[in-house]
Amino acid sequence: MGLLSKKDAALIKDPLADNNPITIQVLGICSALAITAELEASIVMSISVLFVLGVGNVVISLMRNIIPSKIRIIVQLIVVATLVIIVDLVLKAFAYELSKTLSVFVGLIITNCIIMGRFEAFALGNGPWRSFLDGIGNALGYAVILIIVGFFRELLGSGTLLGIPVLGDPIEKTGLYAFGYENNGFMLLSPMALIVVGIIIWVQRTRNKALVED
Amino acid sequence: MEKRTDKNSYTVIFAIIMVLVVGSLLAYLAASLKPTITENQRLEKQQNILYAMGVNNNDESSAVFVSTEEAPKLFSDKVSEQIVLEVKDGKMISQMTRQEYMDANNGQEPYLIDVKKQKSNAKDGKARKLPLFVGKNKEGKTVYVAPIYGKGLWDAIWGYVAIDENMVVQGAYFDHKGETPGLGANIKQRYFMDDFYGEHLLTESGAFKGITVAKGNADPKNEDKMDNEVDAIAGATITGDGVSAMIKSDLKLYKPYFDNLKKQAN
Amino acid sequence: MFQDHIKIKNMEHIELFFKSIFIDNMVFATFLGMCSYLAVSKKVSTAVGLGAAVIFVLAITVPLNWLLDQYVLQPGALSWLGAEYADYDLSFLSFIMFIATIATMVQLVEIVVEKFSPSLYNSLGIFLPLIAVNCAILGGSLFMQSREIATLGLATTYGIGSGIGWFLAILAIAAIREKIRYSNVPPALRGLGITFIITGLMAIGFMSFGGMLTGGDEEAKEETTVAAQVVPTEMNTELANNTKIEE
Repeated sequence: MGLLSKKDAALIKDPLADNNPITIQVLGICSALAITAELEASIVMSISVLFVLGVGNVVISLMRNIIPSKIRIIVQLIVVATLVIIVDLVLKAFAYELSKTLSVFVGLIITNCIIMGRFEAFALGNGPWRSFLDGIGNALGYAVILIIVGFFRELLGSGTLLGIPVLGDPIEKTGLYAFGYENNGFMLLSPMALIVVGIIIWVQRTRNKALVED
Repeated sequence: MEKRTDKNSYTVIFAIIMVLVVGSLLAYLAASLKPTITENQRLEKQQNILYAMGVNNNDESSAVFVSTEEAPKLFSDKVSEQIVLEVKDGKMISQMTRQEYMDANNGQEPYLIDVKKQKSNAKDGKARKLPLFVGKNKEGKTVYVAPIYGKGLWDAIWGYVAIDENMVVQGAYFDHKGETPGLGANIKQRYFMDDFYGEHLLTESGAFKGITVAKGNADPKNEDKMDNEVDAIAGATITGDGVSAMIKSDLKLYKPYFDNLKKQAN
Repeated sequence: MFQDHIKIKNMEHIELFFKSIFIDNMVFATFLGMCSYLAVSKKVSTAVGLGAAVIFVLAITVPLNWLLDQYVLQPGALSWLGAEYADYDLSFLSFIMFIATIATMVQLVEIVVEKFSPSLYNSLGIFLPLIAVNCAILGGSLFMQSREIATLGLATTYGIGSGIGWFLAILAIAAIREKIRYSNVPPALRGLGITFIITGLMAIGFMSFGGMLTGGDEEAKEETTVAAQVVPTEMNTELANNTKIEE
């Protein structure tokens, strides 16, 4: 990465694995559980968070010297909420079809603690460019987990990926289903998302012993 | 040394400026975009009603509306009449044609009646207005489309159900505000909505029963149309119950109209 | 007659109360407030502190936001100001207003508690800022709005119930985490990993509460049994007509 210094590149790379917002920092869990029954929803949510976190981090970073410390949480929450509402209103007016797909996520984005967490931990103490990189990096780290969970839940739960059947037709008994394979409807239930994330943590920490707790 | 930003006066002034800026920005946006948004919602309602009536561009597997450009023309062509019924305490108290309704309500079209508001009116003991859209489907059969409204797991769900004069479903469209993607959100998928086609809302004896979205349905292929049941979506129990509940509570109110229709025919 | 009325009113409260604790449990059914649930559940004592603070804040903010929703935000809510305000629809502001109320209340509670009960402040204090960003709190207010809870009293019941549900969840997981230290968990799963998996299993357990009948369901059941009894013989057709729901 010629464009970025080593320190800046770390801002993007670290959250992807060793400092992942979901599996290490424990941020943004609620949304990771609520929407990962489908790969498509995971991708849409990831892109929305990428946008909000990138822009929000820059805005907060620019305001960091004028925000009164006593009410900084309110200010941060209002900045996120305003950003999301503006995007929602504009989409409703000019891209109505898209807005219907996204409206489900509006509430989840505002309450996503990954956004507040990064504002508080990074944007309040760093310049706009570095905050932007941090936002992008963390959003990508969040996206990686969401997409992995979404991939497995949709594949094992409904036998499709992005809505396209990949394992054959369960009613006509073609493909894998001809051999007696069945979709595991259990994977579609939200508690299974918790267990899949748990397994991801297991795999990650087995590969990198430094992350093991206790 | 105390920082400038820690002072109470600064905090108060900052808060006031923030509220003013954010408030006026949002108010300005909301006010200036409102006409476009209302127009979009109006077209969507037309598309929804047409969809339930069977006027749509469905391909093999997914639900596709008629385009927004075509919608207004198709709507005025296909929907031959919009009836407004008024119900109070479970009794029908009046029936208006589209023209009568528009004359009484500053030219507002009946399909723009806010179902949610009417439902809360009924809860307060006031009369509830029930719109009913009459038209012909592809087979040339007369169908009646009724809007329904209810609650899912997270937020509101609603829909439009087309029925014939025997209260047999001829088409259905469901939508939601924020159900779980992949689970409850699938009520707007073809495989769920198409299941309703041909289901009876009445029992064989003619009493109103509704249609239940049933788990552990003995009839997953949905061949028995008289069982008042369709197959539920796995993992979406509460949304499914919401669909059953809104069909039962809202479509029940239309029964007197169809009873009258039958009496007149005899 | 009057006593019956009170009974019905109470039933409504009791039903909503238990429903919000068990069936609609914030953590296990809707997965809200997960972040602080996972981060602050290492010890029972801290978990109790945070749980109590959540009950307290939910019990205050849900009714407060209910008032805000009824008299300011809903379409037509401003009609108490005069007929010319009846057409205003401020519902696009609800997210911001709810969040502002919550953050303000949390900060106010912090100041008041610090002033009047230093000992309570010492045990609760550090958790209060955490609560403003706990999505269970905002979730409580948003559910209150979307589920159209009818009265101020019910909103309070709902707030307290959801709070207790959250308290119960964090207390349970903290107790398990204290004990699991003595178990032979694979090293890579220790801490966060096993907590995720246990929470998943607990959530599956809580799903069984979804089968509990509430008052509304029973009514629906009776209705269907009446309809089901009506065998379409000629003798029964008349009976069926009499039991028609509309008449």
